[in-house]
Order: sequence, then C-alpha cells, then structure tokens
Amino acid sequence: MPTSLITIGRSGAAAARASLELTAQNIANASNPDYVRRTTSQSEFVASATIDYQVSSSLSGTRIGDVQRANSELIQRQARDSGSDLSRAEAELSGLRDAETALENSRLFEGLVDFEAALTLLESDPTDPALRRGALETARQLTSTFQFADTALSNARSLVEDDVSIGIESVNGTAEELARINLALVNARDGTAGQASLLDARDASLRDLANEFGITVEFDDFGAAEVRLSSSSGTGALLVSGTTANAIGASVAADGTTSFDIGGVPFSPTSGAMAGRAAALTDMALRQTELNDAAAATITRANAAQAAGVGLDGSPGQPLFSGTNASTIALALTDGDGLALAPAGSPAGSRDTANLGNLIAAFGADDGPIASTDRSLLSLSSRIAGLETTREGLEIINSSAQAELLSETGVDLDVEAANLIRLQQAFEANSRIIQVANDLFDTILGLR
Amino acid sequence: MNSVSNPAGAFFERSLGQMGALRGSIERFQTEIATGERIQRGSDDPIGAARLRALTRLERRGDTEEENAARLGQDLSEAANQIEGIVSILQRARELSVSAANDPVGENGRAAIAEELEQMAEEMFARSNTQSITGAPLFAGTAGSPAFVRDAAGVVTYNGNNQNGSVPVAPGTEVERGVTGEQLFEFDLDGTPSSNFAVLTGLAAALRGGAADPSVAAQDALAGIDAALDNANRSQTVIGTRLAWVEAIQQDQQTRAIDVAEQRSDIGDTDISDTIVRLQQTLTALEASQASFTRVSSLTLFNAL
Repeated sequence: MPTSLITIGRSGAAAARASLELTAQNIANASNPDYVRRTTSQSEFVASATIDYQVSSSLSGTRIGDVQRANSELIQRQARDSGSDLSRAEAELSGLRDAETALENSRLFEGLVDFEAALTLLESDPTDPALRRGALETARQLTSTFQFADTALSNARSLVEDDVSIGIESVNGTAEELARINLALVNARDGTAGQASLLDARDASLRDLANEFGITVEFDDFGAAEVRLSSSSGTGALLVSGTTANAIGASVAADGTTSFDIGGVPFSPTSGAMAGRAAALTDMALRQTELNDAAAATITRANAAQAAGVGLDGSPGQPLFSGTNASTIALALTDGDGLALAPAGSPAGSRDTANLGNLIAAFGADDGPIASTDRSLLSLSSRIAGLETTREGLEIINSSAQAELLSETGVDLDVEAANLIRLQQAFEANSRIIQVANDLFDTILGLR
Repeated sequence: MNSVSNPAGAFFERSLGQMGALRGSIERFQTEIATGERIQRGSDDPIGAARLRALTRLERRGDTEEENAARLGQDLSEAANQIEGIVSILQRARELSVSAANDPVGENGRAAIAEELEQMAEEMFARSNTQSITGAPLFAGTAGSPAFVRDAAGVVTYNGNNQNGSVPVAPGTEVERGVTGEQLFEFDLDGTPSSNFAVLTGLAAALRGGAADPSVAAQDALAGIDAALDNANRSQTVIGTRLAWVEAIQQDQQTRAIDVAEQRSDIGDTDISDTIVRLQQTLTALEASQASFTRVSSLTLFNAL
C-alpha cells in the first residue's frame, strides 16, 4: 500500500511542520508580555471503510489538532489583583512624594524659623532701624515662601488630577476595546490561532483595567469577559458586559478631592491606581488646609500683636500681613518703624519690648504656625514612610504572582529549542517515509 | 502540556529587577556620600527629620541669642565706660569742693572752680545722654531719647523711665539692659530728691556768690557729691556683674551650639566609613550579579543547535 504510506508520511510531515511553525511563533513572542505560550495536539487518523460487509481499517497518519493556549484564568486573576493593589500603593506614594517635595523644597519651616529669629534679634535693640528693616524683609520672604509652597502643592495636585483624567480616558478606551474583543470572541472558531490571539488581547485589556481600578471578572463559554468594579460591599457596578461598556467619569471637588461615577452612579474604587490617586488627593487637600491654617495663624497672630502695640513713632500698630491663606498672604506693612514692638500707650521711640515678646511667644507657641508646620511635615513623611513599607510588601507579592503567571504562560526557550530539534527530526523521519514509499513503488514497477 | 517551566521572560524580568534594586541603593549611597546628608527627604526617616527641624530651630535661636548677647555686651561695656567717666568727674568735683571749702582761694579762685564745675556739669549732661552704636539712649530705661533734658533755667530733668528692659540671651534667661538714668544720676539727699547735675550746678552757683559763705556751701556740697559717687559706684558694680554674666552666657552659648551641631551630625550626617563599606558591598553584589547574568543568559540550548 505505497499510496497509503505516502499519505501517512505527508500527514506526519505536515503535522511536524505545523508544530515547528508554532514553536517559531513561541520563540518570536518570547519577550511579548501579553503572549501566552501555544501548543498544538495531534491525534491518530484512521480511515475506515466497509467493503463486502467486512469492516476494514486503513491507517492514514495523523491529524493536526487545535492550537491550544495555556489556560491560566486563576493565576491571571491573582496577578491582576496583586497588580491592582501595587498600583494603588504606587500611585498614592508618587502623589504624596510630590506633595512632600513641594512642602520641603519650599523651605516653609525654615522661613518661619527665620522670621522667629528676626523677631528675637529685635529684642536686643528694638529701635535699631536696620534690625526693624531686616525683620520686615524676613516677613516679606515668609509671605513669598508661603505662596511658593502653595503653588508647588497645587502643582503637585494638578499633576495627580491630570493622571486621573488621563487614566479615566484610557480605562474607558480599554473597556470599549474589551467589549469589541468580546464580540469577536463570540464569532471566533474554537481552537484557532485567531481565537488564541483574541484571548491574549482580552487578558492584556483586563490587566490594563486592573492597573487602574480593582475589578472582578467572569468568563462565559466563548471566553467573553464580564467585568465588574471591585466593591467593598456587595457586587460591584458593571463595567463591561458582553458588547457594552459603561463609561466611568471622574470629578474634582473644590477642595481638591476627587470622586468617581459609572454611568452616573457614584462609586469608590477599592484598589488600582485610581484608588491611590484619590487617596493622595484627599491627603493633599488636608495638607493644603494645614498650609492655609499655618498662613492664617501667621497672619492673625502677627496682626493681633500689632494691634496690641505701638510703632516706633508711638502710633497704634497697623496689620503686618494682609490676606487670609497661603495664596493670598502678603506684607501689609511698608516701613520697619511700623512694627509695634512696644505695648500700647508707650511713647515714641520706646525700647520696651513687651509686645514683641508676646508676638514671639504667640508665634512660637505649641499651637502656633511653626509647630503646626512641623507636625504637618512629620505626619506627611510618616505616612509616606509607612506607604513605602506597604509598597515593598505588595511588590514582593506582585512579583511572585507575575513570576507564577509567567511560568504558566511564558515561553521557555530551552523547551522550545528542544522542541525544535525534536520536530526537525520528526519532519525528516516523515519525509524518509515518503522516500521509502517511493522506493517501494519503484521496486514494484521495476518487476518484470 | 503541563510542565514546570522556567520561561525566559521571567528570568530576564527577575534579573532586571534585582540589578535595578542594587543600582538604586548604589545611587542612594552615592548621594549620601556626596551631600553628606543621611536624610535626603523627610520620608527617609520621619522622626529623624522632625528632630532635625527642631535642631534647626534651636540652632537659629542660638545664633540669634549669641548676637543678642554680643549686642548687649557692647551696650553694657559702653555704659561701663560712661560710668567710669562719671566717677572720675565726681572725684575731681570732690577734690575741687574740698579745696574750695578749705583753701583760702579767694574770689577768683572760687570763680575758676565754679567755671570748672560748670564744665563738669556740662560733660556729665553729655555723658548722661550717651547713645549706643545704633543710636538708642543708654540711660533712658526703655524710653526714647533723650534721657535727660535741660530747661531754659538750666535745670536738668530725667526724661526716661525706670524700666530697664531685658534681652533674652538663652532659653529662659533674660539679662537686663543696664541701669536707668534715674538709678545712676538721681538720689535722695537727707530726704530730698537730688541729682548729680543739681549738686554740681548748685555748688558752682554757690561759689559764684550765690551763697553767703562759699566755704560752708562747698563743705555742704561734699555730702551730695559723696552720695552721687556712691550711686555711680553701685551702678558700676551692677554693670560689671552683668557684663560678667553675659560673658558666662556667651561661653555657655558656644558650648550649646557645639552640642546642637553634634546632635545634628549624629542624626542627619552620613556615616562616611559605614556608607562607603556598604557602597562597596553593593557594588560587589551588582558586579557579581551582572557577571552571573551574562553567564546564565548565555546558557541556552540554541547555542547547541
């Protein structure tokens, strides 16, 4: 049966070649993070026929099976969840670090201490015009330091706000993409390379979504994904179902905190970068309040002291600062002689520093602006240090989940190299069979 | 196919992460050495950073207090100089009044003595209105200048107040500025208020014929001059004590400044030798992992094909 031999050899060679192609595909995608390792299966092919009521089988070689994609739903989910948690910590950390840089680089604390020092220096010689001028200039410096800190902090906040709006756009885009993939999956034939690559795209989209918002996913028989936003209570809102994607919106309140809604229904994210950004914005709004409070305390305490004293010429003290918060604080006094260092009722040129003493005490008190700025910085940096520890822990969890995912879905080049040799041999062996069939045929034809 | 695999992606990812972490700590160590600061930002060590802030404030306050003490010292020295001058004026006045009381100097002699006494009263008045280097009156208490004013009749009155004012020179320590003009120039003589100026000008007027018996007037004036001298000597002692106090405080301030600087350095400075050793250790680890990375990554079956 040389014809049958040729068919068997041809089917074997074709199967080996198909497997070789798949191996080549695996090797080519070895560094593609979205790619899941493919395998193919083979099954024996036996042709059967009935001749004269006699069942006869004829061996017909091998059948090339489906393109199989390593199934990894559980591990994918683990990797997604740990990725969400890590993204949250990283986004919050990066926002807070910006806030820390803004507040520390503005050197607000040093500015406040300088002002306190300039006031203390006046105690030695309250009528010295140079010292008075110096104190006034330090006060002016303090106002611009407050404004600088305010600008830097609001820059840091608008960076995070931009991240939120860009992230929302990309999430909505990814959700729509996922809805389209769902539609394509329903139409894709099972076991084809096309289906496998759609599944790759689906998992990549889910991973991208999970980085921004924590999600829970369910798959139907076609592999189409139904995505819900993780919720701390009950089932979360539906983000993608079948071929429809619901749009997420974000809005920033006047105090700088942000809130999210899906299809108009508000929700609060539990994990993912967006949850981290929301937390960072809430914290930054708190720092902004603290900064404004410190500015307001500086203004009111200095002005109250001014009102209780008299200037160098004996006239009642005028306000030192104008404004109400860190962005509006400005120097109101133009002349160092106007600093009211002496208590009310003192004559012109008085060297009495009782009122100055009160101002220094009020300014440096435990509830004064210096102490509150120190506390604000301490609480911010402690929070960052704590988050850093959390992030390190999450990073370890995430990298082990990623490693597990990669070992399940990634391409092992050594395995592929071994396959390459094995399949090459298989191909050569099958072509040898065709050769043998040919020789047999020639032998039979050569009989005379 | 269910097999244990070691995918190439995972290996590269892992190696990259590990070498990245090593690089990160190397850069950190390098920054620490280059800047000399262990804490680059508050979150590196929140408590340490808060203590550094407190120390910055202490340091700044210490600097200010040192400057205050220096200025106070200058004012006190200046006051001491002036009081020394006043004491010598009074001593000379005492000699003159003794000679006016005892020696038969005659009318011309008395007129000469009166002339000199008037000059002395003038100098006394000038000294009483001495100003510090920055133009503030030394002997007016906390009031503005001038410390003493003279009316058309030549009567000198104190224009200041009896508050000395004080300067904070150390936490919880305030040193009074000096002595007031009242303490230095005015006193009670047998129950009636008098002053250095009144004694000198009164004696001069008496010697110029204002008194029936100038010798007796000069004799009587001695009591007033002695009281003024007592007053000046007392003030000199007070100022001297305060100067000594300020000097002691200045030494104390220097010790405290060194103390604060040491604490700062303990908390915030890089321990150079420690950091260099760690840097070397990390560098070795990085080099080793780079070498092993290239070795391991070249171990692939494809080389055997």
